[in-house]
Amino acid sequence: MHGIRLVDDPTLSTGALKMSWLSLRGRRRAASRHFRALALAAATLALSASACHRRADSARAISRAISFEASIAPQPVRAGDETVSIRLADASGHPLSRARIQVEGDMSHPGMAPVFSDAAETAPGSYRAPLAFTMGGDWVVLFHITLADGRKIEEQIDVKGVESR
Amino acid sequence: MTKSPVALIRSAEEAERLDDEEFDGEFLESQPFDLLDAPVIGRLLQWRHSRTLLQIPLLAVSVVMIFEGLLGPTLSPKNMATVLTWVHFRGALVLAILCAGNLFCMACPFMLARNMMRRWIHPRFTWPRSLRNKWIPVALFVLVLFCYELFGLWASPWLTAWVIVGYFAAVLIIDGLFTHATFCKYVCPIGQFNFIAATAAPLEVAVREPEVCDSCGTKDCIRGRRDASSPLVVLQRGCELALFQPAKIGNMDCTFCLDCVHACPHDNVGILSRLPAGELMSDPHRSGIGRFSRRNDIAALVVVFCFGALMNAFGMVSPVYTVESWLKHTLHFDSQATVLGILFTAIIVIEPALLLGLAAWITRAWAGVRNGWLAIAVRYAYALSPLGFGMWLAHYGFHFFTGLYTIVPVTQNAFAEIGWPILGDPRWTLVGLPKTVVEPIEFGFLLLGLAGSLLVAWRLAEDDSEQHPVRAFAPWGVLCLVLFVCCAWLMNQPMDMRATMMAG
Ligand code: SF4
Ligand code: SF4
Ligand SMILES: [Cu+2]
Repeated sequence: MHGIRLVDDPTLSTGALKMSWLSLRGRRRAASRHFRALALAAATLALSASACHRRADSARAISRAISFEASIAPQPVRAGDETVSIRLADASGHPLSRARIQVEGDMSHPGMAPVFSDAAETAPGSYRAPLAFTMGGDWVVLFHITLADGRKIEEQIDVKGVESR
Repeated sequence: MTKSPVALIRSAEEAERLDDEEFDGEFLESQPFDLLDAPVIGRLLQWRHSRTLLQIPLLAVSVVMIFEGLLGPTLSPKNMATVLTWVHFRGALVLAILCAGNLFCMACPFMLARNMMRRWIHPRFTWPRSLRNKWIPVALFVLVLFCYELFGLWASPWLTAWVIVGYFAAVLIIDGLFTHATFCKYVCPIGQFNFIAATAAPLEVAVREPEVCDSCGTKDCIRGRRDASSPLVVLQRGCELALFQPAKIGNMDCTFCLDCVHACPHDNVGILSRLPAGELMSDPHRSGIGRFSRRNDIAALVVVFCFGALMNAFGMVSPVYTVESWLKHTLHFDSQATVLGILFTAIIVIEPALLLGLAAWITRAWAGVRNGWLAIAVRYAYALSPLGFGMWLAHYGFHFFTGLYTIVPVTQNAFAEIGWPILGDPRWTLVGLPKTVVEPIEFGFLLLGLAGSLLVAWRLAEDDSEQHPVRAFAPWGVLCLVLFVCCAWLMNQPMDMRATMMAG
């Protein structure tokens, strides 16, 4: 359940789907590109789609220059209190200090209460946040990061199969 | 103020008469509430385009959901498609049936798309006779439940959107080829769910004064009205589901489309109140359906409706993973589909076959009911429908109430995503009612379902065996209790929702 990953590793993007569906993903992309084309035809929807994608692109451009690692302990992850550790560094490996990181845990099922916490910096570029998983199941942990220079990054890791107590 | 002896006797007789009437249910039946007579809603529903008016917003929402599902956030709790489908839509559907009737079919967006299509495309075929039953929907219903677990549909906005697209496509293809409401009557799994659940609804589209029908020469409620000069032009549809009002009994197969209401030239069709689940307590010949006891397919639908409710609830609590990992490690199945297939077969096929078979056998042997055991099982299977509905209500009601407000941040977010944040920043902390409030409601639904099922089983038993109604009833009463206990136990298990069943 280690969520360690480099942000620009394409195989690790978007977590809501299962790993065994990797094969589906290619098709998914193609189909959604198709649909995007359709949406472009309808003026209003085109505006909306491109707007949100432009924003996603710029966030990606920032994060490409940054390495992000996150892990959760203790393992295996169980419902209850866990600790999330985060490490931020720039492209050359220098730790990024004084970032503000809000951690958000969401169930994979809609309609469930999300949990939030703020990470504290424990060493340069290393952050730690408590996170209380309120139930068993598949969780997704989101990181809303604001760097010291004001740039914003969104990251997420999948925490599958949190065991219920 | 002493009354004369005659007056006393009179009033005693009067009271007795009223008592009798009340006992027969006639008192209630003689003046049912009619939704069409209600002040504002009644007027609205009587308007010919009321259904379209209800369908337009649902169609619009469906389109938004499809776009949001395909292009919006990939995370299920942040996406309108998944939130609306798996939290609000399912819950609102069952609650509407409980409080009124089959309102989802009434406002069905698929039918609006179909009606638009049928302006240009006129179907040329009639549905094959051999398929005019509920076996396809039975299979589809199980398939939907199976895919829901296998692919973790709730966790994927993208798949959820494609399910909606697929549904529209299926409706347009089937009803583009075949006449009448073929899709609704012989295919639609949502519809069949609604039909079974609505047998416990308090309202029913029914004839107001039977005598008026006796003297009616046109039968427009089923035939519809056509233009006198060009008979190919339909002015008003009759019942497309082959339910002839004067002989229609109960809510089975009725989509609450109100075509019959608009077609009747005598204004003799209403939306009347009735005893919920009362229609299951006897076995008359029903227009467009026949006798329930002769419809093995509908009985099978009730069985998958009831046991599917158990399976669906089982899929979201932690014991399911214990069972699955046991199956995986002892029997060495490592495909998720196989393991799920085994679970589904055990819970939706083998378990009901054993339980219903045993109960039927006991009823036959102990109470001396003469029918064969299959006939008895089919007859009493219908008694499970209120309990099944109670289980769905408890489950979907749970998601609905505990996630009630999640639509607010999701909508805020959708607007923000299209670069038009008029609703402000999404307030993700808005979730729903606390579990401590929702759990008693859930339990209440379950109890209500149990009470309904016991009552239906008792009335059937009374009819079956005058000497030993208790003996005829007992096995079914026990069966209902067992299912009730199972469901109550499931409700108390820790929740554990994984899209990847094999992960643990
Ligand atoms: S049966 Fe299905 S398609 Fe027909 S009205 Fe109901 S939900 Fe819609
Ligand atoms: S026309 Fe048929 S399906 Fe529609 S409301 Fe009347 S009885 Fe029900
Ligand atoms: Cu659930």
